[in-house]
Amino acid sequence: MAQNDTLIKGWQPVIGLEVHVQLMTNTKLFSPAKNKFGEDANTLVDLIDMGLPGVLPVLNEGAMRQGIKFGLATSAKIAKTMIFDRKNYFYPDLPKGYQITQLHFPIVKDGVVDVNGKEVRIHQAHLEEDAGKSMHDKYDDRSVIDLNRSGVPLLEIVSEPDLRSASEAVDYLKKIHQIITYLDISDGNMSQGSMRCDANISIMRPDADEFGTRAEIKNINSFKFVEKAINFEIKRQIKILENGNKVEQETRLYDAVKDETRSMRTKEFANDYRYFPCPDLVPTNISDELIEDVRKNMDELPEEKESRFRSQYNLDEYEAKVLCAEKITAKFYEEVCEVTDPILSAKWIIGEINALLNKHDVSLAESKINSKNFAGLIMKIKDGTISGKIAKEVLEEMWQTGSDSQEIIKSKGLEQISDESELESIAQSILDNNPSQVEAFKSGKDKLFGFFVGQVMKETQGKANPGAVNAILKRLLSN
Amino acid sequence: MDKIELKNLLFLARINADEKEHPEIIKKLQNTFNLIDEMQDLDLSDLEPLNNPLELNNVSRKDENNNRNKKKEFLDNSPESDDDYFTVPKIIE
Amino acid sequence: MNFKDQREKFRSKAISAKEAVKEAMQKIKNDNLNIFINDFETQALKQADFIDNNFEKFKNTPLSGVPIAHKDIFCTNGLKTTCGSKMLENFVPPYDSTVIKNCNEAGSIMVAKTNMDEFAMGSSNETSYFGAVSNPWNSDLVPGGSSGGAAACVAADITSISTGTDTGGSIRQPAALCGVTGLKPTYGLVSRWGMIAFCSSMDQAGPFSRDAFGCAALLDAMASYDEKDSTCSKRVEKNFESLLTKNFGSLKIGVIKNIDSLGINTDVMQSYETSKSVLTGLGHKLKEVDFSELSSGICSYYVIAPAECSSNLSRFDGVKYGYRASNQKDISNLYMETRSEGFGDEVKKRILIGTHVLSAGFYDAYYLQAQKVRRMIKNKFESIFKDVDLIFMPTTLDQAFEKNRKDSDPNRMYKEDLLTIPANLAGLPAISFPNGFKNSLPVGGQFIGNYFSEDLLLATTHKIQEVTDWHKMTP
Repeated sequence: MAQNDTLIKGWQPVIGLEVHVQLMTNTKLFSPAKNKFGEDANTLVDLIDMGLPGVLPVLNEGAMRQGIKFGLATSAKIAKTMIFDRKNYFYPDLPKGYQITQLHFPIVKDGVVDVNGKEVRIHQAHLEEDAGKSMHDKYDDRSVIDLNRSGVPLLEIVSEPDLRSASEAVDYLKKIHQIITYLDISDGNMSQGSMRCDANISIMRPDADEFGTRAEIKNINSFKFVEKAINFEIKRQIKILENGNKVEQETRLYDAVKDETRSMRTKEFANDYRYFPCPDLVPTNISDELIEDVRKNMDELPEEKESRFRSQYNLDEYEAKVLCAEKITAKFYEEVCEVTDPILSAKWIIGEINALLNKHDVSLAESKINSKNFAGLIMKIKDGTISGKIAKEVLEEMWQTGSDSQEIIKSKGLEQISDESELESIAQSILDNNPSQVEAFKSGKDKLFGFFVGQVMKETQGKANPGAVNAILKRLLSN
Repeated sequence: MDKIELKNLLFLARINADEKEHPEIIKKLQNTFNLIDEMQDLDLSDLEPLNNPLELNNVSRKDENNNRNKKKEFLDNSPESDDDYFTVPKIIE
Repeated sequence: MNFKDQREKFRSKAISAKEAVKEAMQKIKNDNLNIFINDFETQALKQADFIDNNFEKFKNTPLSGVPIAHKDIFCTNGLKTTCGSKMLENFVPPYDSTVIKNCNEAGSIMVAKTNMDEFAMGSSNETSYFGAVSNPWNSDLVPGGSSGGAAACVAADITSISTGTDTGGSIRQPAALCGVTGLKPTYGLVSRWGMIAFCSSMDQAGPFSRDAFGCAALLDAMASYDEKDSTCSKRVEKNFESLLTKNFGSLKIGVIKNIDSLGINTDVMQSYETSKSVLTGLGHKLKEVDFSELSSGICSYYVIAPAECSSNLSRFDGVKYGYRASNQKDISNLYMETRSEGFGDEVKKRILIGTHVLSAGFYDAYYLQAQKVRRMIKNKFESIFKDVDLIFMPTTLDQAFEKNRKDSDPNRMYKEDLLTIPANLAGLPAISFPNGFKNSLPVGGQFIGNYFSEDLLLATTHKIQEVTDWHKMTP
């Protein structure tokens, strides 16, 4: 059983993740200000995001659609009626002194995602507004507040405590990342904070009836750190329990530099968020028409795309999975398939392109290869203009310069020689210059055939069409 | 309501009050709760709470930008700022 | 001068908007009742010029060339908006509230902003950071609250119309105590955009004038569907001024059974009885209705309003706008000192009550129970309105009372709202109008109507005012 593999020193880790995803919308959740990253400080701030006296929130339909989309993608229940609540607390980057969120009636409930064949349940996903940013490095004695992020729509995706190891948690997170990027729900950029993760972790004996006391680790901002933070926390809790002490229910921060979690300073009094329904927003009904409209306009999910690729392009399971792992790769592949051979293209993307991406550690989007120049290359292979070996050389050049394959082949003189008479005269001169090898071949040393092919290739700097060379040599040697 | 509860309440509301004033504040609050508590005798278990009198369906707006940013005005109106940011005493995490 | 005459003088070119504004400004300068927090002579004269220069455009708008005073709770672009609080003493909003915008477009000219209880929390105008307002009938007495300045402004004949807001009676109670007509519309009829929130689910802006006519015209200007307010309701637009003369026929008017057990002052009750005979004289039929739940409204109100206000007022933290305490060691200290110094005692008290009723362990017993009482009151109104067209009752328990009133009952001030609160809990429209005169002071009576029946409330009051003179009395 998988469960036993995940025991550490006889302890069963139990993990649930809360993933905050910034939604891809034009504007903020309750204000018409632009939702954009990386602009000058305090330039994307509406009256509403300032929390000015007298302003009122109006729900962005675009954000609601994104929430519905996520619900559809995870086979979840989409609320007939959702209700926004206020979560009250003071912080300088929270202009109203409360965050509008959804506590009891979220937009999405009871979803499920497949993580390596295991069903991980999603408790709920709810819409809420992001806070602004406070920064502490500009002055010695002052912190500064930028409200550009204030009011940016978030979907908080809360899993059930179904995860049993740090690596499973990472796989779950990657799955969520895949879904939200596939459906353009979010750009999922963890380094820019558009996807952030809190982890709830506890440990228990496998035969125990109840989960242990959990600690919450806040704001982990990369896949790698999620794994490290969870593993650290599991070890910390094991140590505590094995020393006969108790794990405290608390919020902890992960310090990536020291690779440890530490307790956030406990406040003088417990926080009490005093949730209550936001009186500025009455209950929102979500109509079947809206859900249908979202469904109609929704992109394929990864699984759907994989099975379509298998039947439409005759790919095997592995090929389909690799090509569909990221939406951008799948899109790239399909663009290539519109003009040339699907099987050959698949092999080249999975083999050569992925190798280049890994080697240089960049994404397909960042690279100079595009579907047009790549399709041109595949066509050249397919029609025999260049050999596979030459093609790799062309691809390297394409990677560096982004040039068209035709140009590269021309400028480097890499075009394959298929001209029969030209190849025949080269082959003949090779045979003429190597009489002893010809003799040996004719007396039964079949392996020497490769030697002649190699010589022709050497003479033509690898540009000879291998099929044609084989045929010509066979004919000449049988004389 | 006792002193501990009042202290917690004052903290949650971010309001300061001199310890000397606490008994007087507690008394005032207690008086109000005496008035409010008259509703505790009502058995309303079969009623749904009413948050908003009209019980409308919420409206939403199209996801379209409408720029009402007034950075300079916002910052100039604030108690303390520099050219780009609102500023506050250093927050120690 | 009443509103109709004031407007007619402009329309007939007997007086320019500018002259009207100058007259109003003179009265404002002579005011010794502390009715205003700020006046805006320069802007008002400029706006008056604009209106005079565009006479054709404004001659038929609801408020043609009429000076108006707005409660200092409505945000005015570029002009101070204090909400009666030290917290916002120097606050200049970068935008106009919808009410202000609508009134400007309707041709009125804002001359000043009126004093009010701090953040609209009070029934006497004594919680204002800018000092109490005196009642125009007797300066030792309060004008009521929270829209005390607005009511006093019309009663003292400084402007013929003014705006107010009513969360638990803040239009109707001062209207009654100052002897003017004031209407609280159905929740959602007037946009709350730009109106500084006290209790979002009850706050509603409405008009003051000497009579129903002025209220109707001002309501025509104020009411609009506004997509910036999600609680604003889409509905068939009505022209209240033209509906004033509509004949609604003989009405069934509900009067509350055992109303004398609620502690209403005998002078107020006498006026009430007199008004009942006026109503029957006009051909209406009175029907006794049971409303024994009425007094529970006050419990519900003093939970819900503080709860919402504790959250609504969290934004006043000294970070982005408004007051900031000067002595600040750290961010926590900044919050504490700013809010302790910036808010007055009544506001702080209500924040504490609201914080308590929402906190863990108390939410169900207080907040949830209060919302259920609210449901009970709404249900009761619904069943009453199956039988009657309107409900009639006194607006207040008492006439205007002395400033700094000491009472053996510590909750006396809150109980002043007993008769006005139920309409707010249910979101129903209600109008208060002068219906008697005792002890050299006005008395007010109120109608409560079904949802969006402002036309009926105004027309019925208008008919009464055609046959009575209480609304014509001036201090």
